[in-house]
Amino acid sequence: MPMSFREKRAWATLIALVFVLILFWLHIPPTRMLAPPPDMWVLHVLLLMIATFVAIQIIVAVVMRIRSPQDAGTPKDEREQLIELKSRAIAWYVFVISSIGGIFVTIHAGANEVGLGFVVLFSFVVAEIVNYSMRIFYYRRGF
Amino acid sequence: MGKTRIRNHIRKLRFEHNEMTQQDLAERVGVTRQTINAIELGKYSPSLEVAFKIARVFGKPLEEVFSWPEPGEEEPDDPPGG
Repeated sequence: MPMSFREKRAWATLIALVFVLILFWLHIPPTRMLAPPPDMWVLHVLLLMIATFVAIQIIVAVVMRIRSPQDAGTPKDEREQLIELKSRAIAWYVFVISSIGGIFVTIHAGANEVGLGFVVLFSFVVAEIVNYSMRIFYYRRGF
Repeated sequence: MGKTRIRNHIRKLRFEHNEMTQQDLAERVGVTRQTINAIELGKYSPSLEVAFKIARVFGKPLEEVFSWPEPGEEEPDDPPGG
């Protein structure tokens, strides 16, 4: 079955999230994330990754809008809204469990405040990856 | 995911209406073509609003487009979604 506009967007977002996460890990390995030195290097890398993600999203949105302007302007229908809600509900549990669990683990691993912040951020990114993976799964399955 | 228990005759009705495409029906109902496909295949149960809109496109009462068979009851007409 051909992909709908929103399924294509979900794929693009998922790929962008994974790409940015890998890029981030290449610059700051997980061992360094636990107790980053108090310099601006980590913050700069983080901001660069966020900017990369936003730039990818904007480029994808513009390209898709140019290629299929009619699909891009179509509002979400009820099935798409339900798929979004179901995926977000699952992602929310992933975020809560991974962030709370991650904080407990990293405190015992000797993380500092910045490291704890990274754990929460990492949990958010993982939850978003789950969110968009679930959307794609539901789109592929029909519902 | 299993198919829904709601049966429908959308595919048959589309062909009876000058072989209406899923895209045509989707545009008239105000949903995506993929949603019409999911409803036809019995993978997604539409809301009452969308169900009424589909029935209205075909000029049929709701129960001639959708049905809810009793447990164990066979649908000799169409397969789920067919």
